[in-house]
This record gives sequence, structure tokens and C-alpha cells, in this order.
Amino acid sequence: MNFLAAGIAILGGAGCAIGEGLICSKAIEGMARNPEMYSKLRTSMILGCALDETTSIYALLIGILCIFLG
Amino acid sequence: MKLEDAIKNMFKFDIPGEIISSFLVMFIIAIICFVIYFKFKNADPYEEKPSKFIVTISFIVQTVKSFTTDLMGKKWEKFSGYALCLFAYVFLAFIFSLTGLPSPMTYLGVPLSLGLCTFVLIHVTAMKANKLGYFKRYIDPVPIFLPINLLSMWSPLLSLSLRLFGNALSGFVLMTIVYYALGNVSTMIFGFLNSGISQVIIPPFITPILHAYFDLFSGMIQTLVFTMLTMIFVSQEDPDESEEELLTLNKN
Repeated sequence: MNFLAAGIAILGGAGCAIGEGLICSKAIEGMARNPEMYSKLRTSMILGCALDETTSIYALLIGILCIFLG
Repeated sequence: MKLEDAIKNMFKFDIPGEIISSFLVMFIIAIICFVIYFKFKNADPYEEKPSKFIVTISFIVQTVKSFTTDLMGKKWEKFSGYALCLFAYVFLAFIFSLTGLPSPMTYLGVPLSLGLCTFVLIHVTAMKANKLGYFKRYIDPVPIFLPINLLSMWSPLLSLSLRLFGNALSGFVLMTIVYYALGNVSTMIFGFLNSGISQVIIPPFITPILHAYFDLFSGMIQTLVFTMLTMIFVSQEDPDESEEELLTLNKN
């Protein structure tokens, strides 16, 4: 049962993946339109991805807690 | 963890190993600071070619200063000291797991206190900037929102500290699993050897790249994110609206 709960919890990573894909696609669009902004956009993209990752990290945390403490 | 046990026996306290690592990190930073201080004190300001060490340190300080002023405005130049301190501590704490001792970030108390520092800074800055108007934020837009505002007050603290904790813990757990699995594989292949040796033949060839990602890369990104978020949260309570900045914005 604990493993089932962990599996459901990690589904939260799906939303995070969609968000990260959107961030990357928009950033690459911007880079293609405006190549001189490349380095600035890359930095913001990585930062955005790191912020976006938070939700999936919460999911992972809950999954780990379910397995080891449940 | 023999070192941990030795320290525990020395003080007769039950201190978690992560807290000892945290103290070690602080100790390392303090030593580096003293070295830098004495190097700069003894440096000759009229020298033609300053030594590489002094140039590097000056470059780091300048970079952090320009980063701070870019993000927070000219008024907040003093904040760069705290920013550099956060950079040093969080980054060293993240990569401290490379030494084999537990990383301080995997103990919830450490990231929680870092988040608490930011939380206190946010509210003190807001009180200083708005005086009594500070309390207006709790009844914004109508007094009925008071409980919601009181709850949302804690969200920066939770998100900041749990981000650090979750990242470090997930890296730690994944590395533990990988070490365990590779140890088993290694025992299967090199089972004819002594059991102590057969476990550690394969892992050192595969785990360094994972350490590079989970400790170095993730640690660097999270350090940057934590510091940037602290700066943004603090500076939006007391924004710098000088004319210079508006002019440069218009130029761009």
C-alpha cells in the first residue's frame, strides 16, 4: 500500500514536466528570434526550470516519506 | 562515520551528524575569511601587478556586488555581504556530501533556519519601510481576508526551506540507492574476492558523474535560486525607485 501511495504521489512530476517543456520551448523560440540574447535567456531558462522543479521535488519528498515512514 | 562518533563521545551530547557538518562548514568559511583578511591587510596597494589570489577575490566580490545592484537596485549595495555569505554557506553545505560526511542540507533544521533568516529579513524590511502601514498587509483588500493573509505569510519560509531540503534529500536518497544497487552488482561479479573488497569495485567508476549532477550542478543552481529569491523577496518590500534606474531602463 505504501508503494502505491508513493506511485500516486510522484504523478505530480507530470505537471512539472509539462511546465519545464513549456519553459524550454518558449526560451528556444526567444533565442531563435533574438540570438544576441542567447546567454541571458539561457540563464533565465535554467533558473525558471529550477523554480519549476520545486513542485516535483515536493512530490518526490512525499513519495520518499510514504516508502520509508509510512 | 567514525569522526562523528568521536566528536559525539567527546562532548557527551547526542548531536546529529548534519549539525557537526554544518559547524565544519562554518569553520572552513571562517578560516578562508581569515586568510583573505590577512592577505589583503599585508598586500601593497601600490603594487603594479597584484597577486592572482587578490585579483580573484576582488573579482568575486565585484561580481556579487554587481549582481546585487542589478537585482535590488543601487540602494541595496550593502546587501551584497549577506548575499556572498549565503552563496558560500549554501554551496559548501551542498557539496559537503562529497567528503563522505552527511550534508547539512539533509537535516530539516538547517534549511529551515536559513529560510527563517530570509523570513525575518523580509518582515523587518517591511516594518522599516512602511512603519505602521506594515500591518495593512494583513487586512488587504478587506479585513475578512485576515486568516488567509496570516496563512500566506508563511509561504516564502516553507517554499524556500523545503526547496533546499527536498533537493538535497532527493540527491542523497538516490545516491544511496545507486550505491546499494551497484554494490550488489559488484558482489555478484567479483564474488570470489573478499566480501569487503568486492562491494567497492564497480561503484567508483559510475557514481562520480551522478555526484557531479546531484551535488555540484544541483547545488550550484539551488544556491543561485535561494540567493536570488531572498534578494527579490527582500527588495520588493522596500523597492529602490531612484531616477538613475528608470533612466537606464528607458535607454534599454
